[in-house]
Amino acid sequence: MTRLKTRELHAPIATTARECAPRRRAVRPSLRGALAAALAVALAPALAHGTEWRVGVELPLTGALAQAGTEMYRGIQVAADIYNRRHPQDKITLVAIDDESNPAKAVAAVEQLASQHVVAIAGAANSNCAGPASEAASKAGLVYVTSGGTSDDMVTRGLKNFFRVSNTPGYTSGMVGLFDSLGVKSVAIVYSTKDATSDLARQLDTALKAKGVKTMLHAYDPSISDFKPLINKVKLQDKPDAMAMLGYENDYVGILRAARVLKPDLKAIAAPWAFASPKMAQSFPDLVPNVYGATVLSSPADYRSADQRDFSDAYQRLFKTTSNYQSQTSFVYAQLLFDAIAKAQKAGTLDKGGLADTLRATQRDDTFLGKVSFDARGDNTNYVAHMGQFSRDGKLALVWPANYATAKPVYPGVPW
Amino acid sequence: MADLLLQSLYSGVLVGGAYALVALGLALVFGSMRIINLAHGELVLLAAYIAYTFETKLGLNPVFAIPVAIPVVCAAAAAAWYLVSRIKRDRELNSLILTYGIGIVLTNGVLLGWGADVRSTGNAWLQDSVMLGNLLSMRSEVLSFGISVALMLALWWWLSRSWYGRAVRAISSNRDAARLMGIDPRKTELISFVVAGLLASCAGVSIYASSAIQPSIGEALTVKAFIITVLAGVGSIPGVLAGALLLGIAEALTVTLASSALQELAGMLLFLLVLYVLPNGLFGVAKRRG
Repeated sequence: MTRLKTRELHAPIATTARECAPRRRAVRPSLRGALAAALAVALAPALAHGTEWRVGVELPLTGALAQAGTEMYRGIQVAADIYNRRHPQDKITLVAIDDESNPAKAVAAVEQLASQHVVAIAGAANSNCAGPASEAASKAGLVYVTSGGTSDDMVTRGLKNFFRVSNTPGYTSGMVGLFDSLGVKSVAIVYSTKDATSDLARQLDTALKAKGVKTMLHAYDPSISDFKPLINKVKLQDKPDAMAMLGYENDYVGILRAARVLKPDLKAIAAPWAFASPKMAQSFPDLVPNVYGATVLSSPADYRSADQRDFSDAYQRLFKTTSNYQSQTSFVYAQLLFDAIAKAQKAGTLDKGGLADTLRATQRDDTFLGKVSFDARGDNTNYVAHMGQFSRDGKLALVWPANYATAKPVYPGVPW
Repeated sequence: MADLLLQSLYSGVLVGGAYALVALGLALVFGSMRIINLAHGELVLLAAYIAYTFETKLGLNPVFAIPVAIPVVCAAAAAAWYLVSRIKRDRELNSLILTYGIGIVLTNGVLLGWGADVRSTGNAWLQDSVMLGNLLSMRSEVLSFGISVALMLALWWWLSRSWYGRAVRAISSNRDAARLMGIDPRKTELISFVVAGLLASCAGVSIYASSAIQPSIGEALTVKAFIITVLAGVGSIPGVLAGALLLGIAEALTVTLASSALQELAGMLLFLLVLYVLPNGLFGVAKRRG
């Protein structure tokens, strides 16, 4: 069994017990007083120091979702960095454990974090891991915050400690809004059989049908690598205006590669998460042009607040590269979590399970995701995905909703 | 419907060729040493990442990375053999555990060295579509199929005509008798592993050229290769191609006629069905009793 890997950003101060050897001579009173004064001076900063809160992070740093997990972790690290600089009296220490994109290991990670007395857990890149992990957190009485548990059943379990900033209805609204604005009449929905993607496919199907759009659904096993037979069905049988591909990075590459070979007569291709990132454009410049994906900001980014610019500067300083929507999203919930921890501590309720209530009472309007607040189920019902479209030079423009748009969509438009 | 089926069959044949290329090395080691090298998929993965590095650093067609990948992957295969050769007892079981561990080390080594991002070739020539009548495929897939068939023929020739190839077959047939005939089992097994490494190098470069790679795919490649090896029948190289083609076509037809969600299930059902009807695999030979 693979040993869980733990990382601490700031190691705790270790103390050892030591037996004093018997003194040969008594210390003179004058020297005793001087020693006491020196000790008091040395200890003063420590005594004046505020609280240190250990926050657990359970994310896939290896495995199939390692790219998403690593990026999300960076967003949380930036949030901790900014918080610690703004509040020098307090300190957020992150304790990260790799869940290896594996639900069983996600549970084990949460249990290990709970045994290390963290005050809350930020975690999971997908619903398959977020589900069992958040249940383990609930049993341990810990708040669990995520941007990865988007499927609907995450908030119907009755867990009081579960919070999420993004959700499937938000992604559905984004994609439906985009297709509606483009005037698309038929959509082939190609989706992975994982929890979140299946959930999104069902909701997207229902929402599009309600708008009079014809839909055709094609489920695929997450392990498949050759999408040509499936895309050929879309090309020869479905003949839709647009294709919605619901999956993860490796799926998008396979689907777009197959589409590039078979060249179905499509006018638009859209994906929800894990597509619209600078890294995708850099790695696959031939596959992304004119494809739509959910994003937070355009790229290059147009930061709209001091907080967002602080995030960008800190990210660049820590990681020497540009961020994407995954780190921007995790930054949002990490920021909210740290502020809630501080508030609960000040109110004296942190140790009495008051963090969940404090977080539920939180509301902020100026985040990367716009307004964020949590309902009784821990869901951010304000969430609506913004949709971006890549241009041929790899830039990402926000094209929907109109009040956030930085460019008009290119329609019809496909990579080939 | 006819167009759909023909394209599906064509895609299935090409995918089967790619599967055969991955399975060849595992089949060789399994056939000669009765050892299932669970790190074989990771050796393929290592070659794929070498091809990625070759392309991104030098800007050259990744197919030219094969001569670079071969020594590295063969060295890794030789290291794996050395560790396996240290096992004195319960070789079949302990080698499974050991090679699984080697696979984990290799996967995490790849992750540390190259990161978790999905990678694929940016070479336009390889990604261009090729038409065979009305049938479409990527150029890299056709190339991969050709390499697969060529390597299979080369391996068949080596096993049947070369001294070391016949030594490998002798060792797999009767290790003690082969030793008595002057064949060094350790040296022959090392050669098996190194040749498997060579085959894994070609497979890895081929996979990088035609699809996306990431550190987690090694395990899936090993499982696929193992299924094909067993389907083929122990020690049968032509069986590997037949088994791989059968698997590729079954998967493609399942996607076309039923659902992509059932693709893996179809492969497993085929595996069970063949073993039920032909317990020694498609080309395997039943052992005599007594």
